[in-house]
This record gives sequence, structure tokens and C-alpha cells, in this order.
Amino acid sequence: MKISKHLLAVLASLLVLGLALAQELPRKETLYIGGFQWGPPTSFNPIASGPAWPMGQTFGTQYVYETLFVYNLLTGALDPQLAAKLETPDSSTFKITLQNGTRWQDGQALTSKDVLYSFELAKRQQVAYAPFWDYVSSVSAPDAKTIIIKLNPQKLNPGLVRQYLATVVILPQHIWAGLEKSEKSLLQYTNMKPVGSGPYMLKAANNERVVMQRYDNYWGKAIWGLPAPKYVVHPIFKSNDAGNLALEQGQLDISQQFDPEIWKEWEQKKLPISTWFKQPPYHIPGSIPIMFINVNKKGLDNPLVRRALAYAINYPLIVQTAMSSYSVPANSSLIIPDGGEKKFFNADLVKQNGWTFDPQKAVDILENQLKAKKGSDGIYVLPDGTRLGPWKVQCPYGWTDWNQALEIVASSARAVGIDLKTDFPEFPVANSNMANGTFDLGLWFVAGVGAASPWQRFRDVMDNRGVPAAGQTAFWDYNRYNNPKVGELLDKAASADEATQKQLYSDLDKIFMTDIPAIPLMYRPLEFYEFNESVWTGFASAANPKAPPMFTGAGIRVLFNIKPKP
Amino acid sequence: MNLFLRQLLSNGRFRFSLILILLLVGFAIIGPMVNHHNPLFAVGGRFDPPSSKALLGTDVIGNDVFVQLMYGIGTSLEIGVIAGAVATLIGVVIGTLAGFLGGTLDELLMGLTNVIITIPTIVILILLSVAVETRSLVTMGIIIGVTSWPWTARAVRAQTTSLRTREHVDVARISGVGTVSIILWEILPYMFSYIFMAFVLQLASGILNEAALSLLGLGPDNTISLGKMLQFAIQGEAVRTGAYWDFLPPTLLLALISFGLLLLQSSMDEVFNPRLRKV
Repeated sequence: MKISKHLLAVLASLLVLGLALAQELPRKETLYIGGFQWGPPTSFNPIASGPAWPMGQTFGTQYVYETLFVYNLLTGALDPQLAAKLETPDSSTFKITLQNGTRWQDGQALTSKDVLYSFELAKRQQVAYAPFWDYVSSVSAPDAKTIIIKLNPQKLNPGLVRQYLATVVILPQHIWAGLEKSEKSLLQYTNMKPVGSGPYMLKAANNERVVMQRYDNYWGKAIWGLPAPKYVVHPIFKSNDAGNLALEQGQLDISQQFDPEIWKEWEQKKLPISTWFKQPPYHIPGSIPIMFINVNKKGLDNPLVRRALAYAINYPLIVQTAMSSYSVPANSSLIIPDGGEKKFFNADLVKQNGWTFDPQKAVDILENQLKAKKGSDGIYVLPDGTRLGPWKVQCPYGWTDWNQALEIVASSARAVGIDLKTDFPEFPVANSNMANGTFDLGLWFVAGVGAASPWQRFRDVMDNRGVPAAGQTAFWDYNRYNNPKVGELLDKAASADEATQKQLYSDLDKIFMTDIPAIPLMYRPLEFYEFNESVWTGFASAANPKAPPMFTGAGIRVLFNIKPKP
Repeated sequence: MNLFLRQLLSNGRFRFSLILILLLVGFAIIGPMVNHHNPLFAVGGRFDPPSSKALLGTDVIGNDVFVQLMYGIGTSLEIGVIAGAVATLIGVVIGTLAGFLGGTLDELLMGLTNVIITIPTIVILILLSVAVETRSLVTMGIIIGVTSWPWTARAVRAQTTSLRTREHVDVARISGVGTVSIILWEILPYMFSYIFMAFVLQLASGILNEAALSLLGLGPDNTISLGKMLQFAIQGEAVRTGAYWDFLPPTLLLALISFGLLLLQSSMDEVFNPRLRKV
């Protein structure tokens, strides 16, 4: 009896082991990716809020569902995806032509009717791209391959509409129209068997990983061929360092996690790991984490106090430590001085009106311009008796590079005599504080690079129109900064030609540097682009720029260019 | 010299732990007196290795690890002392009242104590820490103290229950001495060594609780502690990137403080507890 029990246990173990091995994917055909999914994948609905990877990323991952165009970080242009070309017959019309042979994964043709359906869905459902219809009067589909978009002449903003063309995923009408009727809430629908138009299909998803399998009848095969990996797997790690260790050990091939001091992987450990650049800043800047200042709080309502704070912050130290040298020190501008926005960056204007790390200048402003007196505790007090702090500077807990950056902000401020202390609540609390304007200072994200940048970033930081009072939810202008000149300049910039836009953005940037409603702390890449060539080679890089350094949008081309290592 | 003191000093474990604790306290007091660098101001880059510029290297945001240790150990000890004092005070008050007065009050107080013991301390600690507007050293100490008293209360109650039937207590009671005076002058002096040992244990657990809270990002504001040092080390992935100088020193110091205090307590127990006394 005992022997048979032991035999049974051994057999059961072998069975489990056998099943586990049977599920193992061939490594040479599998690409492992990390950094997009941190919790159990519960929804693959691309229009839901926060669906699992690979759905719903800002520029669309293009694995299962595709967008009309894909944003290219390197050129700032929209590259063709489902659509072959975008024409502008006049200043308020977009004419879009679909590629030949576009098809859904169930074999049905993907036509302009599907595009029309996907955009019109935003009229009926509270999807993230619902504001599309603020800027567009009509969308029509005169034939199966053509889409005509008429822009709203009252809110002419071609840049923002182009942004939507690269972010709105196109859904199959023949499936989703039925779901609209059968599902109580389309946004709650989990879509565990997604049917898209892209080169991958969902194979499996559980608490440990999400597995995608290549769809070999992909309509785009005639144009781009097929992506090299037969399987793409996203393991779900519990923490950043577990993911970084997996990249180091070759268990991940590509990763978009913040991986501090990554250069040590190839300089010291001699591992086949790389980033876009082999030298600092290693990544192309794509966004500006920016510290909003509550301009309605006593003390902080004085632009000179804000200017003193701006001079006090040790930006080079933030770059060197918190950002692990993945950035250059932040300029006092809302325009990213690189990539697609470089053409708008006015370096002379920044030099004349902006700030850099200069604690002596901060003290000079406090003592000579504000006539503030330093108290016995080392903190300045304004002539009207307002003590400069204590003020809290917040960002979500666990956003490690941001947390560390704010520790430097707080110590920099205290070094000159402004009393700041850090506060790291959980994300929902920090999010609510920002949206409601109930914060002293808060580090937050604003629009990154895209087809509508830097217009959208100026709107996010400076435009008070449509923003409710503090205590209600705002989606931009979190600190309720208000300068009436901003709206007029933004409206002009929305539809101006490039030369005029440059002037208008300079005017806006000058207002920003004068009023200082927020302080840019560093640059961040749109996505951290890191790869390990132990199994796959040929990843795009600065030396081999076959695709932009991103895993969404035009970054999908990376998968078409790699090869298994011989 | 007092008999107990002589017995204590003749105990090798007591001498060793006392010297260890005195060295650590001395480091916390003398360090900041001779080194005036602000522990929160950077002196170098991200995880610079030990050098003449920074004896134990720098942490993730370029702060000097050695200077942070000097100030950090002081902060941790201060919070530990406040937490230990608060927990011991509450525990002694509740324990003596319950033990001496007995009856319904005893049932009530011990009921409350037992209920609090069943709730995991860390949960209450987190909730209280999140709720307070400012986390100063005193606030942190009080928060930790008010969640750590139940075991002291139970032990003190047991001691009081035994002491209240002693003859000298009966004499005081017959003489018309009030309850508070009896507790203060007839009960507590007999428990003084016991209370002091409880305080030492509470001090050690207070320091470790501070480290736990700091690791969760709920450490004291605008200062450095051993727990906050570890939090920065974990956030900056010091272990994975091999910056041993950042995470080993605070870990070792925390271990040494706890070891020293627990050894001190157990060596004192050897002398004060008749059942363990070797003499």
C-alpha cells in the first residue's frame, strides 16, 4: 500500500512536470517582453480603461488591434499602418486611404465602415477618445477604402486630430456592433477572445504571463512581411528589480522598465544588453515629468517665490542620481529640445528668461527682491509674515525615480530656506489630489511627444479654459493657473503653419517662464527601450535606426527586423 | 555599591551588551557633533563607492552613507526611546490598574488588551501613520508606542496581581493610604527592574517598527533614519546593482542595536529574576 502511494506521488509529479514542459514555448521562436503589465490580466478590451498588455497603450501596440497611422518618435511623423496615406485637400479636411487588402483575423474585410464605426463609437460610449468629436464635425466613408474627416472650424486643431489617428484603435464593426447590443456596458466587457487586424492573436493569459501567437495570414504580410517571433510573451513580475534581473539574465529580450545604471550591464558585466544610445542619455527624451505648483496657495502665489524655488533645484543631481543619467538637465521650457519638437525649441529665449540650478540666485531673489528674512529655523519669511512652507511636494509612492527626484527637490529647497517635505501617497490618492487641485506641489505627467505636441503640453500646463474649480476633477491645468493670454495663443497655434507655430510656442514659453506655474524636473523617454541580444539580434538602435525606440506605434517594426541568434 | 548593580556588572553578557549599546549611542551623539554635514544634502553621484570623499560611499541620490548612519542611528534611537516610553507607560498604567483593582475594571481593561493583541500591529501602525498630517520623530514614536503596549500591560497585570496580596500592601491599605499612592509607592518600586526590562524590549521593537514603517515609505519627515536608508537602498535597487555599501551598514546597525538591547534585557533578567539567578 505504501509503495503504491509513493508510486502515485512520483507519477503525479512526472505528470505535472510533463504538462509544464509541454507548455514551454520554443525559446528561439519566442520573444519575452517586460515592463507593461504588473497585475493579473483581466481585460483585453482596447477601449476599456487600463486593459492588459498589449491592448490600450498610448500609441497602440499594433499586436492585435491596429491604428490608422503609427507615430514615429524619430521623425515626429505619422507612418502608414492600416491607412496608406493622409491627404489634406483643404485646411479643414483630411482624406485617408486604407491599405490594400486590409483584413480582420476572422477573414472578413476591414473597410472604411469599420473606421467610421470605431470613431462614431465615441459618440455613444465614454471612451478616452470622446473629445475627438470636439475637434471634428463629421467622418464619412464614401467608399470601402476612403475616409473623409471634416475638422470643426470652430475648434480647428489638425495636430490633435492627427494624434487621434495614431491612437484610436480600429474595431471590427461586425463584432462590436453586436456587443453594443448584448453587453450591458461595452467598457466593462472583458474581450478575452479578441479579434483584431494585427499580426498577433491572444494565445493565453494568466496571473504569471500573457502569451501572444503570430497570426500567419496577417493582411500586412505583403507589405512588411511577418514579425520574426512566433510567440511574444509578457511575464508578469511583482517588482521592478525582478524584471531588471530577468533582462540581465536573458529571460527577457526587451524591456521598458526603469533599469538604473544599465550601462554597467555591457561595460562591466559584458552582457549583450543595450539601449538606443550606448552613451548618456541612453534614451531619446519623450516626456517631461513636471512639478505643478499650487499658484493659489499663500506664499506660492507669488511668482518670485516660485522663481526662487526654480533656481534652488539641483537639476543636474536629479539627472545624475534619480534619473540614472537617462536625461539631460531639464530646461525651463515646455518644449523638449530633441526629436520631433526640436524645431520649436528656442534656446535663446530659454537662456534669457529661464532658470538653471543656481542656489545663490535663489537666495538673491528671496533677500533682495522679496525682502524676505531668514528665521532662526533657516526658513525665509516674507515681509507680510508668510513663512515659506512647510509645503508638501507629492507624487505616487513606488514611482522610484520620481520619489528620488522629489527628495532632491525638497533638500534643494531647504538648502536655500524654503521648507518643502516629500509626500508619497498611493496612486489613487495622488491622482485625486492632482485632479482636484488639493496639493501644494505635485510632480505629474503631461502630454509626451506625439502628433499634437507641444501644443497639448502647453494646454495641459497653462490652459484654464474648461477646467473646473479646485475640488472638482480637472484633466489638465491641475493647479488652476489662469492667464487669459494663453487661450488666444493656443487657438492660433492649433492651426498655424510651422513657422508661425514656432513664434507662438515661443510666446507661450515666455509666459510660462515668467509666471512659472510648474517646473520641469527632468526628461523621460516615451518608453524605456532596452534589449538583450542573447537570443534575438538585430534590434533597432541609434547605430541601426530601422525602427524608432518604442514598443508601441511605429515601434512594432522592431519585431519585423530581428532574427534569432544563430 | 548596590548589590544588584554589582551583580549586573559582574555578568559578562551584561557588560558586553552595555558597552555595545553605549558605543552605538555614543556614535549617534558624538557623530553629528563633530560632523556638521547635512545628511540629506548630496556629496556625490548615484551609488559612488567608498572613497576618501565619502567613507562609506553614497546612496541612490548622492548622500553620504556614513553621515546618514550617524544621524540615522540617532533618529532611530530617539523614535525607539519615545515609542518604548509611551508603550511602557500605557502598559504599566493599564496593567497596574487592572491587576490592583481587579473586578469589572480588570475584565474591561484586559478585554480591551486582548482585542488589541489580536489585531496585527503593522496594520494599525500603517493606518495611523497614513492618517497623521506630519510624521515628526515624536509623532512616529507615539504612533509606535500606542500600538505596542498590550504585552507589557498583561505582564504588569500579572505581577501586580501577585504583589497586591503582599503584607506591606495590606498594611498600607489598612492604614488608609489611597489607591494611587499604594500603586506608586508600594507596588511599582517592586516592579521597577521588571518595568525597565520591558522598556528595553519595547525600545528594541520600537526601532524595528520604525524601520518597517520607513521601508513602506511611512518614515519620519525631513530626516534620515536607518529604516529610511534601507527604503532608499531598496528603491534604488542597491542589492541588484551591487551597491553593498548602501544597504549593509544600516542593516548591520539595526541588527547590532536589536542584538545589544535583547542581550542587555536577557542579562538583566538573569540577575533580577530569582529563578534564573545563578548566584
